[in-house]
Amino acid sequence: MKLPTRDRIIETRSLTKRFTSNKGLFGRSVSVSAVNEVSLDIRRGETFSIVGESGCGKSTLARLLVRLLPASEGAVLYEGNDISSLSEPEMRRLRKDLQFVFQDPFSSLNPRMTVGALIEEPMKVHTSLSRKERRLKVADLLTKVGLRAAFANRYPHEFSGGQRQRIGIARALASGPKVIVGDEPVSALDVSVQAQVINLLEDLKAEFDLTLVLIAHDLAVIRHMSDRIAVMYLGEIVELAPNDPLYDKPLHPYTQALMRAIPIASPHGRSMDVSLTGDVPSPLAPPSGCRFHPRCPHATSLCGTEKPVLSDAGGARMVACHHWEKIAENSQGSVREPPRSENAEKRFALFREKSQRQEPVTAATETQIKLSERSHNNA
Amino acid sequence: MSKAIDLNATPVLSVENLALRFKGAPANIIDGISFAVRPGETLCIVGESGCGKSVTALSLMGLLPRSVAQIMSGTAMFGDRDLLELSQRAMADLRGNTISMIFQEPMTSLNPSYKIGDQIAEVVLRHKHVTRAEALQRALQMLDRVKIPAASSRLDDYPHELSGGMRQRVMIAMALANDPAVLIADEPTTALDVTIQAQIIDLIEELQKETGTALVMITHDLGVVAEIADRVCVMYAGHIVEDGPVESIFDDPQHPYTIGLMSSVPSVGPRSGRLATIGGMVPTIDHMPSGCRFTPRCPFAQANCKTSPPPLDELGPSHRAACHYAPLETAFPATVLQEAGS
Repeated sequence: MKLPTRDRIIETRSLTKRFTSNKGLFGRSVSVSAVNEVSLDIRRGETFSIVGESGCGKSTLARLLVRLLPASEGAVLYEGNDISSLSEPEMRRLRKDLQFVFQDPFSSLNPRMTVGALIEEPMKVHTSLSRKERRLKVADLLTKVGLRAAFANRYPHEFSGGQRQRIGIARALASGPKVIVGDEPVSALDVSVQAQVINLLEDLKAEFDLTLVLIAHDLAVIRHMSDRIAVMYLGEIVELAPNDPLYDKPLHPYTQALMRAIPIASPHGRSMDVSLTGDVPSPLAPPSGCRFHPRCPHATSLCGTEKPVLSDAGGARMVACHHWEKIAENSQGSVREPPRSENAEKRFALFREKSQRQEPVTAATETQIKLSERSHNNA
Repeated sequence: MSKAIDLNATPVLSVENLALRFKGAPANIIDGISFAVRPGETLCIVGESGCGKSVTALSLMGLLPRSVAQIMSGTAMFGDRDLLELSQRAMADLRGNTISMIFQEPMTSLNPSYKIGDQIAEVVLRHKHVTRAEALQRALQMLDRVKIPAASSRLDDYPHELSGGMRQRVMIAMALANDPAVLIADEPTTALDVTIQAQIIDLIEELQKETGTALVMITHDLGVVAEIADRVCVMYAGHIVEDGPVESIFDDPQHPYTIGLMSSVPSVGPRSGRLATIGGMVPTIDHMPSGCRFTPRCPFAQANCKTSPPPLDELGPSHRAACHYAPLETAFPATVLQEAGS
């Protein structure tokens, strides 16, 4: 599945990140491979998601992709050029193309800068726009992310979580990026607000021709948004596949276990299954061989000694498991959501129809509450 | 339904018309809610942040200072006693004994400087006439029951030595150490990974089956609700907008908020177009709409919604919704909608 270089916007080759921790007062330092020999291609224009449980290294990998962290070994290629060896000024120029949206909209915006200044900052660094042009673009971006242009003069604390995430997205868009990496961009938000931000990201992706790299732990959000998905376990990619095939027939036993653990939003599908016992082992002392083998129901002695390589499984899929072919024969991890009742379907359609008609209004409504508050105060 | 619950059984906990206001606030943070839970039953209270679900739990547990959180009306009958009337001392005798609570963040709810065995034993010592050795024995037994491997060697561990999932197991062990009649769990799996969440939910269900404890589970996750609930209360801005058996809530959702909430959650099934969204955001306490509190965000809202609060009307067997226009397809036939749209 080698693609021509022009179709691959980001590639990693045996990318490894080690952190060193000091153990005890006189102890030797211990090193943890948070990301271990990860090789992947991200295609231009796709939404590529990285999923895994806490501590699997997905956020570290996201930061390595845009060099917010230096790699210990291996390489990251952006449009065919290795960015790991770039000098700081060269890297700074590249940041125009590679932007990041953080998880926590409360700590990722400088509280002492106005929203306008926050969004303007990347333009000052990366573009030669005049002050006036920048102001106009700030207003334009704020409208694009569903906020009011007048909000430019306010400070981040005046906004709700969902609004702050919109500000973070506007700031990421300001330099005119080609790639946006989002580290759990919607997981701190409430369900109804989360849906607004998911729709926004999808709209912006289409409008600005973006490549989106998403880090998330919510398998439903990933299903909804992604083209291709990489599943990580303890710093390594165990499976990489296009969206539908992965959910219809997960190949790796870890992916299967993840899928079976999803609580399905239907009382008729009470199927959540505890197929994984125990916790993720400490990355300080990862298991030998396949890192998943101590928790794997299919493990054999081979798995304890020899590390499986991520290899082609046909249908543009890759899997790192010695026994995937045997396991796949009776794959039981697929996610099936029971059909919704007629009444529920009918009312969902009604809600959708009614609220879509109001959508142009709702973007403004979100802000009306704050605005009316303002006008009261000013009056 | 997987378990048989006697619907005629007397509720162990019965909350009637509870209203609560923080000192100086212009409106009630909880505004006249009622629910009941029977032995062995699981009641899920679902809603988004700020809807008052955690405040409800804390007020029932007597964990909100009365000087700050004023009870405006209502009763919370636990057996023949009203939890809202009890003195601090009487409440302390119940708390952790016959009514107990699990919190969302197991790291901050365990004391970092005490061994977990001692922390569980303390709950037993506080309420039962036992020796320290017996209490520790009980702690060991509880760690076993929550399936902590090699429990005896874990008694002397400190919370930081345990993973998030293990800490939540310790919290559950502590909460159930005295066989409470009611367990209130406030987002017990929200901070956990999905595979660990599955383990914890499974554990809670299993223990509940063994002990017959009534469970009040507070969550924002509709998947968890579908998985564990017998009955569901949907809360919005301090009101219960809909309640009923879990099947009715999912198969026959009536309130526009319930419908909006359900359709804005992405499905794990194949993608079915854009997500529906609920416009706007949860109202702040300073700007509570009068009438139906969902009015400003409701795509179906009419003039009277702004002014008159809808009562919780019975729409099916023990299924109620607070909307003037439920069922919506009767009030808003699809054809009329299309005409109006064109």
